[in-house]
Amino acid sequence: MLLTDVNVLVVDDVNTMRVQVRDILKQFGFQKVTLAASAEEAQACLKEQPYQVVLCDWHMVPTTGLDLLKFIRGNDSLKALVFLMVTAESTKELVVQAIQCGVDDYLVKPFTLAQVQSKVYGALLKKGVLQ
Amino acid sequence: MTVSGIQEFIAELGGFAVTAEETLRQIEADMEKNRGMFSVFSDRMIAIRGTAQQLSLPKIAHIARLGEEIAMKGVTAEKRPQIRKAVGSLWDALTTVKHLLQHHGEETAEEHDILVNRLEATLRAFGGARQQVDADEIERMLREKK
Repeated sequence: MLLTDVNVLVVDDVNTMRVQVRDILKQFGFQKVTLAASAEEAQACLKEQPYQVVLCDWHMVPTTGLDLLKFIRGNDSLKALVFLMVTAESTKELVVQAIQCGVDDYLVKPFTLAQVQSKVYGALLKKGVLQ
Repeated sequence: MTVSGIQEFIAELGGFAVTAEETLRQIEADMEKNRGMFSVFSDRMIAIRGTAQQLSLPKIAHIARLGEEIAMKGVTAEKRPQIRKAVGSLWDALTTVKHLLQHHGEETAEEHDILVNRLEATLRAFGGARQQVDADEIERMLREKK
């Protein structure tokens, strides 16, 4: 798959962050970036079309990013998705939880352009989405 | 950091502040029954902190961090005076975060320092912050898992 064909879903309840992450991804050449303001909205998007990568905030209400990760990993048609947690949450016990639930990588705010590039590319290459 | 980014964030904070203020009012109305709502406040503080860090607003991020931790202590506080203390500190934190956002271009070092000292003292009295890990440590934990 080419980078321009990769469908990316950005989930964050803070519009400022959603827009910033989308703009960063577009700078790297991703063209298909969908924004969702909640885990519920994300689930609806995932039903509509196939995505290859989800970048998701942790602290959202009523459904958290961790809940969305569990939903994805528990769903046969979605479980291979690349899932990156994008969050300011760095409490050790919670990071451990995310890792145990199958997060592919973790972007801690504040992140740099280079970190986003490295982690998104790295995860997509590792899962064989990009050749 | 772009000016438009900060302006959007300030506008967005209006919604967070309404939620946070309403939460504190509900806790004040029935401290024992509603102390679980401190987690709602903590979630809003995390959202503010993350975005403030990303927009290079470290003072706001620092106070939001302290507010987040004090709120989490409030969830498990057993004594009414502790809950009251947490609520009072969180009002201070929220008010100051709003002030700093609205005056982010101005020099507010003195009032910021006074509040930070007070919040840090409160957090220490509650037993200190939860253990954090940095990006390198998270990287190591991810590698170990794989």
